Amino acid sequence: MAMRMAARLLPLCALLAALLAGAPARAQDQPLVAALSTQEVRISTAFTGEAIMVFGSTDQPIGPGGDEIIVVARGPTRPLVVRRKVKALLFWINGPSARFDQVPGFYAIAGTRPAWQLLPEAARQDNGLGLDALPLTSTGSRSPAFRAALLELEKASGLWLEDAAPVEIRGGRLFNVALPLPATVPTGDYRVEVLLIRSRRIAAREEMSFRVERVGTADQIADVAEDHAFFYGIACILLAALAGWLGSVLFRRD
Amino acid sequence: MQVYLPIAGISVDAMLLVGIGFLVGWLSGLFGVGGGFLLTPALILIGIPAPVAVASGANQTLGASVSGLMAQWRRGNVDAKMGAVLTAGGFVGSLAGVQLFALLRRVGQVDLAVSIFYVVVLGTVGALMVMESVRAILRRRGAKKKRLHEHFWMHGLPLKMRFRKSRLYISVIPPVLAGFGIGVLSAIMGVGGGFMLVPVMIYMLGMPTAVVIGTSLFQVTFVTANVTLLQAVQVGSVDIVLTMLLLLGGVIGAQFGAKMGTKLRGEETRALLGALVLSVALSLLWGLVRQPEALFAIGPAL
Repeated sequence: MAMRMAARLLPLCALLAALLAGAPARAQDQPLVAALSTQEVRISTAFTGEAIMVFGSTDQPIGPGGDEIIVVARGPTRPLVVRRKVKALLFWINGPSARFDQVPGFYAIAGTRPAWQLLPEAARQDNGLGLDALPLTSTGSRSPAFRAALLELEKASGLWLEDAAPVEIRGGRLFNVALPLPATVPTGDYRVEVLLIRSRRIAAREEMSFRVERVGTADQIADVAEDHAFFYGIACILLAALAGWLGSVLFRRD
Repeated sequence: MQVYLPIAGISVDAMLLVGIGFLVGWLSGLFGVGGGFLLTPALILIGIPAPVAVASGANQTLGASVSGLMAQWRRGNVDAKMGAVLTAGGFVGSLAGVQLFALLRRVGQVDLAVSIFYVVVLGTVGALMVMESVRAILRRRGAKKKRLHEHFWMHGLPLKMRFRKSRLYISVIPPVLAGFGIGVLSAIMGVGGGFMLVPVMIYMLGMPTAVVIGTSLFQVTFVTANVTLLQAVQVGSVDIVLTMLLLLGGVIGAQFGAKMGTKLRGEETRALLGALVLSVALSLLWGLVRQPEALFAIGPAL
């Protein structure tokens, strides 16, 4: 694990160094430069989660009194239903529910300081910076408790992160932050936005993207199961029967 | 070693799955049942979504029962004709069961339905088994000879058929109905239903004990195959990686269980199995009755 981490960080360090060297030259025309450690996260059968590194530099010093950085990552959206358990006679059953149509499968925000300290409330809400600023509209039960529960559950699953770790500043103008993707991370296209905050205003923004993809066996299995459900079902039957038959042959006691 | 389950979409410790498979296989070898009724709740307990647990449970039960069926077939303990009649009922039952399952999933009550089915079915079967075997143990010394089988209303039904291996000449209606009922339960609970089918065959149909296990395995094999296919097509929740890991442990565990099973007496085995079935039912009942830790739950919108 440590070896893998080190191997992954090595090219990153080289990139950072190159960026640092190139920074003064580029700084004149661009106040903010940012990049991702990878454009592609591969989910194989051995996938247990991965951290994606966001890093970059600015043309003026970052830190208290100077520029500030906010990094926000959003995953593909999907519809979700939040259900509340109610007690019916003796049992706890699923009762009222609320349906949220556009729920990001992943959302992470980090900043040199929390977003609410850096931006006026209106700007923060408009840009969807922070879990409470996510544009979640629901149908069904109107109670705000459903939205609150959705936030809690997504945070508990590690798919929604708010200021889990601050954006780190190095050498005054370099910044970097690691966004951890848990093993349950959904596949699809992710958008990463890096915002440069100068005097409580968004002075510059950089948009990047990466893809989370299933690869190898895991991908093939999921694809076949989805596209050729019938043949997949037959294959499951035959494989299980074969395994059972092999067992009876191997352990035959005659 | 963590492994990513492509259909469940989560990462689980592979050794944990092999271990669960081994334990369930060991118990099923010991008691001569498929063990699906232990497997599905265990999978749900470690965080596998209920639909995947049910479908993959049925798939793994298929593998486990093929293993047992081969052994019984070699010894000539399978009444294929009776098995075919039971299976015919089972096919229709599992078809109906999967429709019901898909419907429950849409209205968001799958977990509740699976739990209630488990509590009712396991509670009833477990209580009956414990009572029956305790009575048998108490009565062992002064045992009275029982008649081969008794005649009652069931034997007045039409459509009689001769089952040579079982030495029976009975109407096909009771076995078809029994097969149907177990097919429905199989689709919803992810079990083979051997633990319910065996008492039905002995007490209701009056089949000789020697062919009961083999014939029930015959029915279980085909019905779980049908459930696997239907779940794969309709719900899309069969996880082959999960199934294979469970089978790896299960096939080995079953051999150890079977070896130990030969050392136990019939009544004691049944009493133990009954107690096990009953305790699974009670723990699931507790899960339904007690105040849930989280009042809210999220699920995919269908």
